[in-house]
Amino acid sequence: MLTVSGLVAGYQTGSRVLNGLSFSIQPGEVVALIGRNGMGKSTFLKTLTGHLTASAGQIEFLGNDIFNAAPHDIANAGIGYVPQGREIFSDFSVEQNLLMGAIGKSGIRNAVPQWAYEPFPILDERRKQRAGTMSGGQQQQLAIMRALVGQPKLLLLDEPSEGIQPSIVQEIGQTLARISRDHSLTVLLVEQNLELVFAVAQRCLFMENGVIAEEVSDVSKLSNDSAIIHKYLSV
Amino acid sequence: MMRKSNNIQIPTAATAAIWLAILVAPLFLDDWGVSQFAQYVTYGIFAMSLSFVWGHGGMLCFGQAIFFGIGAYLMALTTLEKFSWFGGSQTVGLLLAISGPAVVAHLLGRVLFGGRGLQGAYFAIVTLCAAVIVEITAQHWRFIGGFNGLLGVPPLTIAWRDGVDAYMTSIEVYYAVFFAALAVFAALTMIVRSPFGSVLAAIRGDENRTRYFGYDTARFKIFAFTVSGAIAGLAGALFTAQFGFVSPALCGFALSTEVLIWVAVGGRGVLMAAFLGAILVRSVESYLSDSLGNYWLMALGILFVATVVLAPQGVFGRWLNLPLPKRLRPAKVDDKSAQEMTGMA
Amino acid sequence: MEFAVAITLDTVSFTLTLLLVTMGLVVIFGLMNVINMAHGEFFLIGAYTVVALQQVGAPFWTGLLVAPVILACVGLVLEELVIRHVYHRFIDTILATWGISIALKQSIIILFGPTSQSVVNPLPQPVDLLGVTYPSYRLLIMTISLGLAISTFLFFYRTHAGLAVRGVIANRMMAASLGINTRRMDRATFAFGAALAGFAGAVMAPIMSVDPQMGVGFLIPAFLSILVGGTSSLLGAVLGSGIIGTANTVVSSLWTQVAAQIVVFSLAIVLIRTFPEGLTGRKR
Repeated sequence: MLTVSGLVAGYQTGSRVLNGLSFSIQPGEVVALIGRNGMGKSTFLKTLTGHLTASAGQIEFLGNDIFNAAPHDIANAGIGYVPQGREIFSDFSVEQNLLMGAIGKSGIRNAVPQWAYEPFPILDERRKQRAGTMSGGQQQQLAIMRALVGQPKLLLLDEPSEGIQPSIVQEIGQTLARISRDHSLTVLLVEQNLELVFAVAQRCLFMENGVIAEEVSDVSKLSNDSAIIHKYLSV
Repeated sequence: MMRKSNNIQIPTAATAAIWLAILVAPLFLDDWGVSQFAQYVTYGIFAMSLSFVWGHGGMLCFGQAIFFGIGAYLMALTTLEKFSWFGGSQTVGLLLAISGPAVVAHLLGRVLFGGRGLQGAYFAIVTLCAAVIVEITAQHWRFIGGFNGLLGVPPLTIAWRDGVDAYMTSIEVYYAVFFAALAVFAALTMIVRSPFGSVLAAIRGDENRTRYFGYDTARFKIFAFTVSGAIAGLAGALFTAQFGFVSPALCGFALSTEVLIWVAVGGRGVLMAAFLGAILVRSVESYLSDSLGNYWLMALGILFVATVVLAPQGVFGRWLNLPLPKRLRPAKVDDKSAQEMTGMA
Repeated sequence: MEFAVAITLDTVSFTLTLLLVTMGLVVIFGLMNVINMAHGEFFLIGAYTVVALQQVGAPFWTGLLVAPVILACVGLVLEELVIRHVYHRFIDTILATWGISIALKQSIIILFGPTSQSVVNPLPQPVDLLGVTYPSYRLLIMTISLGLAISTFLFFYRTHAGLAVRGVIANRMMAASLGINTRRMDRATFAFGAALAGFAGAVMAPIMSVDPQMGVGFLIPAFLSILVGGTSSLLGAVLGSGIIGTANTVVSSLWTQVAAQIVVFSLAIVLIRTFPEGLTGRKR
């Protein structure tokens, strides 16, 4: 579904944060991308979503070449993005935020479908509330649903547990697992919170110095293997 | 943009060569040419005042002519004995023309930079509006001659000569202006290369961060703005003594725009480049404006846009950017940090 | 009393036209972070479009349609040729649009000469209103400008496209990742702002002296309005235009045009000093 090969990207000319990154994701998979800060996870997501220009490599998504394509074209190709820090429109109401997920997409009605309120009932209660006044966890739920309203085929999540209380992380984890199972949604989860990874992901990629250093194909085996977690997360 | 250490001297050599060329230029010019060139050098002083406050201080001033005009008017009013108690002294005129605009700049700076202060773009717009307002006020102020301005401003004199002999010849005027320009260049270069200049560069780079380091950034900016106003005033005074008249246009919006173009085309971040930009654009203008007429200004506007889009450092910026002072040079020149310090703003 | 009514009407008509210019500036600034110094020249070209049409004998009203179309095209071309190359260099956008304004103004001088032109008032008969005799054309200006301003508001706050524009203003990166084509939006917005200014110029042509300096004459109060009102929303444009427009009209009819400009500028400086983010602005 998504194939990344030999991706090289960085911030200033010369620096290579991504140093020939290669991996692929199959349809319906939930893959976790794990690594310490500064190993290139966020850089990769910014490159994948078109906000950072890569200097070399290939990215293929559902048979389309989306290497260095414009962000809106990448979104319309079927990639939904839940960025680090949530990036909700804080002056807009919850409903308007969800609507923003639909407006830019071609082939989707410019309206918020009823199902968008079902996974997280709090969003339904607060439809008219200004999104900026909600708690971090609620904003995270909103950001996820805003991406899903656009009916993506691949959902990217960048550290969704960051700064959120554990009970809501758990709720988000369960909901994500259910949605991806019921709708065979493909998910790429960039995360340092292992609890969320265990709850959602099937396969796990460990990133170090801009490449995939190791892969664990069954996440459930990971919980017994503290050595590898130490190596790549040093927790 | 990497500069190898063996040609780091090019900007220094070029700067010296240009001053030498300006020094000997009268040898190759006729009398008219000399007085013409003296005017360009005067505009060059004006351009350096803007380069200092904008290129080095990061304050994009759209009303630099306000200070030029005030200097010109003060010089004219004094030497025409409108201020009768000074007896028409040119020395007093020059002193007033330097201190008056400095005071105005200082007050304006206090209003605009004090408190939380105006950020870059707002400052540009306010100074633009101020230039328009000052020009309109000058047009309607009878004491300073209203629309017509003041005519018959006496030329520069030499104190120890009497009568008609006291008036400087065009060569003497040229060298008076030349040494004023050299002095201004030396003074501003010293300021820019001093620790004060480093703080100014830091403010230009990131004002908030500099403030968090404990610097009272508003005071630095006000001081830079004051110095710049004083120098623009000096240029205005020299201008009016050469031209013999002042008019409201000297403190307005059109001249403010022109000086901005000279500085941007020459190179905003380098005093010498701005200076040369003024001389170059004025020379080309006097050469072409007869044949191009109205098309000249249009061409200048387009040239300006092209410079901004394609060469933000200006035409001469790279070649005249002096090496860092020894104080700031690491033992082994590290290109990247050197580039950051010289602040290619 | 009659004097008060006349001043009020003058104020409203000036403010509404100012608002058309200011709204374009605010939207362009909010969306693209570009301070468009050439906006005054868009106004100028709008007015000269009417002059040109009058010279070829076309009826005045065609100008109100043609001017915005021409300006939209001018806006598109400039956006493509210049503006998009300097988006990320904020101060340079001021300089670049400034250069554009010089070139545009000079083209007008080359085409029409430096002297002022007059446009025949299409509605010369005055009407009686609340006890005063008032030029009917000014009433028409008010109606049209008010209608346009309201439509602009409705567009931004009541339509999906308007929501998308506000979304891009609030968070460009995120909006793009939700599939919104920000490039196309920039282009459309710049063209729209230019068209609004052009329309304002065309509609004001019969009651102003049309000369090459009129663009700057309108740009200054428009800028002051933005500084006073704040750049964060269209509401700021309304508030700013209201304050600047009112002060300008009242002082100039009680005193002189020059005094009005000085008073307005001083007032603006005081307000800007007190509210650095504008009256409607929040601290960023």
